[in-house]
Order: sequence, then C-alpha cells, then structure tokens
Amino acid sequence: MANHRCGSVSEEEPCCDISKKTKICLCVFFGLLVAVIIAVPVGILMWRHPLQEWKGKGTTAHFYEILLGRCYTYTQIVRPELGHKDCQKIGKAFTTAFLSKDPCSSTEQDYQPLLELTAQTVPCNKTLFWSKSSQLAHDYTRVQGDLFTLEDTLLGYMADGLKWCGDPRSSEMNYQSCPDWREDCSNNSFSVFWNAVSKRFAEDACGVVHVVLNGSISNTFDERSTFGRVEVFNLRPEKVHQLQAWVMHDVGGVHSDSCSSSSVNNLKRILKERSIAFSCQNNYGPIRLLQCVKNPEPSSCRFYV
Amino acid sequence: MTARGLTPSLLLQLLVVAGAAGARWRGQGTTPHLQSIILGRCAEYDALVNPDPRGRNCTAIWEAFKVVLVKDPCSVLPSDYDRFIDLSRHSIPRDKSLFWENNHLLVTSYSENGLRFLPLCSVLYGRIGDFLSWCRQENASGLDYQSCPTSEDCENNAVDSFWKRASMQYARESSGVISVMLNGSEPSGAYPVKGFFADFEIPYLQKDKITRIEIWVMHEIGKPKVESCGEGTVKILEERLKKMGFQYSCINDHLPVKLLKCVDHSTHPDCVLN
Repeated sequence: MANHRCGSVSEEEPCCDISKKTKICLCVFFGLLVAVIIAVPVGILMWRHPLQEWKGKGTTAHFYEILLGRCYTYTQIVRPELGHKDCQKIGKAFTTAFLSKDPCSSTEQDYQPLLELTAQTVPCNKTLFWSKSSQLAHDYTRVQGDLFTLEDTLLGYMADGLKWCGDPRSSEMNYQSCPDWREDCSNNSFSVFWNAVSKRFAEDACGVVHVVLNGSISNTFDERSTFGRVEVFNLRPEKVHQLQAWVMHDVGGVHSDSCSSSSVNNLKRILKERSIAFSCQNNYGPIRLLQCVKNPEPSSCRFYV
Repeated sequence: MTARGLTPSLLLQLLVVAGAAGARWRGQGTTPHLQSIILGRCAEYDALVNPDPRGRNCTAIWEAFKVVLVKDPCSVLPSDYDRFIDLSRHSIPRDKSLFWENNHLLVTSYSENGLRFLPLCSVLYGRIGDFLSWCRQENASGLDYQSCPTSEDCENNAVDSFWKRASMQYARESSGVISVMLNGSEPSGAYPVKGFFADFEIPYLQKDKITRIEIWVMHEIGKPKVESCGEGTVKILEERLKKMGFQYSCINDHLPVKLLKCVDHSTHPDCVLN
C-alpha cells in the first residue's frame, strides 16, 4: 500500500517537492476515495436488503435448478409418457406465479398457467390421499409403483419439500425468509399452491380412491387438514364412487383412533352427504408390513410359522 | 425425491427402441436434458440432502463430468472421472454402507432415500448417475441419443467406466459394519464372481476401517431358493472374505428386508404376520 501521509506530514519533515496546492488536491482525492470505499459496501448492503422479513424459512437454495432437474427427471425417466412436456415453459410458469408479487396476496389464478402446463391423467383407482401419514404413504407408493400420491404427480414431485416466495419490490426470490402460514398470512404463495394442486388432484380422481390415516393420534380425520378442508370436498361424486380409508396404528404404539372412532365417522358422514360411498380398514396388511420394516422387533411383526 | 426406476413396460420400450433398425449399440441412448438433470440433482443434494459447509460447486462438478462426453464412446476409462469424483465425493457415515447385486429397486426402497442406509445411488456421485445413460456419437461430436455401448459392445464405455470409478470410491470410503444384499433367487448365482461388487468394490474395501461384513441372501417370495448362505457362489464369497481377513456373517432372508418384499405379496402364505 502506497505511503500517503497527506495531512499527517509532520512539520519537521517537508515531503518531497510537491506544491501545497497539489498536496491539497491529493488530500481531497484520497479523502473522497476513502469515503467511497466505505460508502459503497454500506450502500450495497442497504440496497440489497429492502426485502420484507417474514417468520418462516426462505426460498430453498438453488430453487430453480432443482425444479428444472426434477421436471426433466420425471418426464424423461419416471413417467416417460410425459416426455412431450416442456420443462422450460413449466419452470417459467412456476416462477412467474410468485416473482415480483406480494407473497401474502397469492391467488389460485396466479398458478393457473402452471396447472395447465402440468395437467396429468392419474388412472382410475390409483389415487392415494394421506393425512398425518406422509412418510408411510410415500414409502407405500415407492414400493407400489402404480399408485399415486400428489407428490407422485409431476407438479407434486417438482415442488415436494421446497419452499419459495418473491417480493413486490424485487424480481428475485426471497432466500432470507418467507411468510409463515400462522404468524404472517395464510394466503401465502406456498400455501395457495398446495391448496390449488390438492384441489385439482382431488377433482381429477376417479373410481375407488384410498387414504392413509394415522390411527395413533387423536383426530385421525382432521377437518382442518388439507385432506379434510380441500381434498374431500373436491372429489367428484360422478367420477369417484368410493373412498376407502386405511387407518394405521404405530406398531406397538397407541391405538388412539380407529375405523369406529368419531372422527372417522365424521368423514363417513361428509362423504355420504356428497353421495360417495365409504369403507374403512384398520391396519391394512401391505402397509402394516411396511411399518414392520422400520420396527421389526414387536411380536406383531413376526411371520406366522 | 425418488427416481422410480424402470417399470417393466418402460424396459420393454427401451429394448424395442434400442433394437430398432439403425441403433449402433445395445444400450439405451443418452438421457435427454442430461445437463439439467445432473445440475438439478447436484443442487438438490446440496440444498436438501447433505449440504456441504464448504459449499459445493455444481457447475464445476458438471464441467468435470462433461469431459467424457467428447471422447470416443469406446475409449472412456474409469480414471476419466477422477476429477468429477474429487469434486463430488463426501464422507459416508459408519455402518451405513450397503452393497448389492441384482436387486437395485429393493435396495432403493429399503434404504429409504438414504435414511436407513446409504447405498451408492444415495451418495452424491451415485445419485448424479442413477438411471441415466450417456455417450458421444461414434463419428461425430454430439451426444448419441439413439443408443450407447454396453459392456457387450466394448469395455471402456462411458457408463460402465463411471460405475466402476464410483464403486471404487464408495468402497474406499465405507467404514464400520458393511452390509451386502444378494439375490438368492438369481439363476446365475447370488454373488456374481465377475461384477461390480467382486471387481470394483471388494478389492477397495479398507480393512482397517471395517469391523465386519454382513451378507443378506434374499429370496423372491414364492420362487425357488437357488442359493442360500454357505452354498454355491455365496460360499465362494464367504471364502474370499475369510481369506482377505474380514470378519463376516451371513443371514438368509434378513427380516426387515423380507417384510419389505412381502408388501407386494401380502396374501402369500410366507408373508402372513402373527
């Protein structure tokens, strides 16, 4: 670093042959330089953080790359019959739905173009809903490859586990924070998305549909859950003639609710009013086996010899 | 996220396409949008599965992978992936390694996306290549989307060399209790004497990092038991491990895995629970 002793030159040490005017110019110049060196990062810092601050986790790192990669994996490898889908267009439609917008004023209309591009036919009798039983339901469809949870459809597969939101004053995604449903606002871009896709998933279902419910918690059928609020009410009675529930209890765990409990009867009543038949089974065999894989010790997981 | 794997109808489609008039090689052509898929998988691994505190550079990883895409399709060596492995490698937790032969889908289901076990397809470099195919055209510089060579076409093909290199790395980084899942209903034998496990994994196991090796010989529900522990090729494997100085044990139809196989056969007499 150059030795600038502008202003601190001692009276006893005359510096070189520079004139006084030049010295003043140099002082001013370097003073400005120092000011700029300090001010620019501060300015950038301040300018870069005008984004709103929310109580929830921010957009997932590398959101767009993940989204696009998943779209191609799904349409080229998982379900190649969808190989004609345009993932670039789909990715664009997804981000357009929330970028540069108020993340607390999201509407289903925002996601309409995306929904249209990702339309998919799930075969009849192959729809599997779930409520408070995510891991078990997905373990089951991983093994039973012809059944579909929402997360086994193209759009669900793309968005599963990701978080996203934008900001009205920026064209960037907000990686710092996103609205929390409870503490910030319920019409946030994330929740609105899942409501919209759940609604469509239910509307598209046909034949006999299934749901995996958790019998080891109270309120097995929860009217406030996405299944209870959105999916049940968007099944089309002219297409879906029966919903079959599988109430699973944790192996060796508490049997809080079962097919005969009041919350499940509530579900039955709601469906009856909608002209959809209902049947229920406790601890459906194949899924019980899956539970035992995780925990094979209890005697109920031993094979009958 | 799970790649669901090849359904039987897809496999048939692929065989038909590869066998169609004009296909140069026996194997599946390059997966379309290979770059986006690989970048996406790397990004996902870094963001959601196993973030690297030092930060992974997925672009650099892709650039390192890309070098094989300009090479003659029958001149790709395992060492061509050295840089790629260098950038994408990460440690494997003790006791989580799961080796296998002839039961890819079962291993994927059982390992629960890396939660229960971490087989090769669940570590970053394995994840990147899982279910993908790639090769350059024989006489031109672009990628061949029609077909790619298999080992029957030529030994030094891009995909086989990838898995050889990845397998070597995976074996080197494995420690603690090593698990091996074999298919005891496979007509040609549960332990392929020439295969990825035999040639590119066992030789690279680090004796000083491994406590013992547990072999599970699984049998298909309702199908013949071709081999079990102590028999045929399983015996060959056991003797090889013994000679190498490894402590090992062998179990027929390891219970948690059998329970998983039964999910698809829940009404079969062998699958009835108490």
